[in-house]
Amino acid sequence: MRVAAAIFWKDLLIEWRSRDRVVAMLLFSLLTVMVFHFSLPGGATAKTQAMAPGLLWIAYVFSALFGLGRSFSLELENDALSGLALAPTDRGWILLGKVSANLVILGVAQAVTALVFALVFDLTLLPVAPAFAGIVLLGSLGLCTVGTFFSAIAVQTRFREVMLPLLLLPVLWPLLLAAVRATSALLAGEEVPSEAIQLLIVSDATYLIVSFLSFDFILDD
Amino acid sequence: MSRALIEARGLCKRFGHVEALAGLDLTLNAGECLALLGPNGAGKSTLLRIIAGLARPSDGSLSIDGAAAHERTARRRIGYIGHASLLYPELSARENLIFAGRLYEVADPHGRADQLLSEEGLGDVGQRPVSGFSRGMAQRIAIARGLVHEPDVLLLDEPFTGLDRRAARRLENRLDALRQTGHTLILVTHDVASAARLAQHVLVLSEGRTVHESRGPLEPEALERIYVDALEDAP
Repeated sequence: MRVAAAIFWKDLLIEWRSRDRVVAMLLFSLLTVMVFHFSLPGGATAKTQAMAPGLLWIAYVFSALFGLGRSFSLELENDALSGLALAPTDRGWILLGKVSANLVILGVAQAVTALVFALVFDLTLLPVAPAFAGIVLLGSLGLCTVGTFFSAIAVQTRFREVMLPLLLLPVLWPLLLAAVRATSALLAGEEVPSEAIQLLIVSDATYLIVSFLSFDFILDD
Repeated sequence: MSRALIEARGLCKRFGHVEALAGLDLTLNAGECLALLGPNGAGKSTLLRIIAGLARPSDGSLSIDGAAAHERTARRRIGYIGHASLLYPELSARENLIFAGRLYEVADPHGRADQLLSEEGLGDVGQRPVSGFSRGMAQRIAIARGLVHEPDVLLLDEPFTGLDRRAARRLENRLDALRQTGHTLILVTHDVASAARLAQHVLVLSEGRTVHESRGPLEPEALERIYVDALEDAP
């Protein structure tokens, strides 16, 4: 647990000093929102508003791919990855430290994106903000867990930029399905389906347990 | 009589079709300094990474005081100083050492970082980012990082690479001091003269096999001759 806290502190400190990941994620997700806005004719119609939750999660996933890819590539400089692998602890704690830091960094980008998205698509987010934040948190936890896990694999391959989306996107579909359903219901003023929340929780738990237990072998040569 | 601390039996490591280690046996006693010599691709760094717990053998066994090298109890006893520094350039020297201390769950990482910076004579630059350090200064911080949890086995992978003569001599003296305080050292190097000055146990590898092993002090010229002969006789 202390090892996870140390990695969380270190990753956020490096990000605070460089700000490269959060800025790249933010710019990319805002550009995605703008592309959606201009590619859908008629501005913020009822039809586009109905599509908005799906588009928002697409923007979130794309920006996460940017940030998560960098999560382990920063460990390649000076072979710092070996420094992490040497720690006398369950290596799953290394993963959890990285996941927590990624969750905070992605959260900052997501919060700003949500505000811009609400303005562009004329959505009323404020009254449902706590529930919206809860759904995004549940979705992002799974996204960051499995994304960080695959980032550690991808970074050790020759085609690391291509490898992460190829590994990540097929595994994400149950989580994205649940996240989009829950967000759609919330923004439409309906009751959030409990099956969607259950699927989010089960996906998060599955990703966390499997990634934690198998991470020990990922960092071996 | 010294006790065997590190024991490898029939150690093999394969990367696909490439055999980096091919049935290596090794016994290293506590407090010894072992020099691992050999040409590029001989398997020296692979052996070091298996001892450090960074790689698992494909076949055979390697134990540190009876525990398999990748087990936590074994990893806690190992200090690893790689060819690269393992440092984060965005962090200061002190922050790097505090972080390493936290990874090893050192009781007082801040105090330990200050102590190590002082021992390395870098107390006045501890707050500066590592990105601005010379290779020699970064190497001193890398050594401090390797010692942060007070390990009794120190693994060094080509630590003299890129150092000027003064920095190399300083590092050699530092390693000699560690050896005299009872640390077990394993040194991978191409620097035969430094190996002869520091090591009492020499292993020359070629193509993943031992082609020479000797114990006892050696003159640099004698070791150079052994090294060259061993490589000429190698398969």
